[in-house]
Amino acid sequence: MTIATVTTDINMGPFIIPSNGQNMIMNNYVQRNNLKVELVIPEPIMSNKLATVEWLNKEFNFTKIILCSIYQLPNEKNVSEVFLESMKNVEFHFAIEGIKGIGKDFLQGCIQEAKKFLNADKIDSTKTDWIELYDILNKNGN
Amino acid sequence: MELREKLNTKGYAIFSIENLKIFEKLKDSVIQKIFNETGKDINLLRKKMAKMSNVEINDSMINLLSLSGASEMMISSCQNVVEMLCGKELFIQRRANTIFNLPGKDQRRQWPHYEMMSGISPFTYVLWAPFHDLDDDGGVYYYDKKKSYEIMKKEHSKGIVNGPDILNMKHNEKPIKLNYGEAIIFNPFILHGNTAFKSDLARIACSIRFQSIKKPLMQRNSDFLKYYKIN
Repeated sequence: MTIATVTTDINMGPFIIPSNGQNMIMNNYVQRNNLKVELVIPEPIMSNKLATVEWLNKEFNFTKIILCSIYQLPNEKNVSEVFLESMKNVEFHFAIEGIKGIGKDFLQGCIQEAKKFLNADKIDSTKTDWIELYDILNKNGN
Repeated sequence: MELREKLNTKGYAIFSIENLKIFEKLKDSVIQKIFNETGKDINLLRKKMAKMSNVEINDSMINLLSLSGASEMMISSCQNVVEMLCGKELFIQRRANTIFNLPGKDQRRQWPHYEMMSGISPFTYVLWAPFHDLDDDGGVYYYDKKKSYEIMKKEHSKGIVNGPDILNMKHNEKPIKLNYGEAIIFNPFILHGNTAFKSDLARIACSIRFQSIKKPLMQRNSDFLKYYKIN
């Protein structure tokens, strides 16, 4: 039984979390859930393939992988298909979202959810103010 | 007046929960998590809660973190209203809030605030419903759209938001009295809060935020929100 936490690039979807911060988030999560981590895996920067996790899984046969967020999952179709197949027996935990699950469908659902967020339109909060936001609501309604 | 019209004019609206069975299930799940008891008169539990220390209250809130499905139950109990306002595809709050309000002067008082403070989106609605009748002043007061905007504009002209003007406002507003089975929905620019109140009973309520997936977000925050589709 091997449980591992994984740190990745500082950029993950909308979040920017340095490695130390990622470790703090995951360590807090494992503590709250009474999990014992045996391995800490650093993924290289500028890569979202989780390839190191995949390679190490052949050696360690992970039971649980802890990540900070669903945004860290590979989202390129060809990569994610291979990843989902090789990790189908590993239980994944996402500390920020507070969710866990096992199997291709679960991971596919997480990848799809991250895509829904990434595809959502965004209001740039640095270029607006409260009055403008109020006007946006009143002009457009729900 | 139709609910949508009320929302447009006042910024908030009260309505009856469509599916009380689901809401009841949510209430029971929350009670089970807090008190580890089921089937008891909620007023007995409210009485027990009114005597809890702040530490015990915080422990209860931590226990509630493990409650799953509360968001879905809250949305499902008011599905037609949610769908009418936002369609079938939604971003909903990942963990619905259970909110306690304890009686007594030294207890927590939520000063007036806008939900927009948390920066989710101007298109997010808040749905709030108590787990029992609100027959004392333990509920929430709301300023209507016009008054909330006037206050916001005044603060804005000074370059502040939720500043001393709001924090020092007189807290003599009367909370809205709701019956069990009623809910209130409001937009994120509605100023609201609660006051210290006298009672032997604590107030327990649940709230959730949601918006259409087609409306923009200020933060693509998967921590706070999750994707949800009404079937």
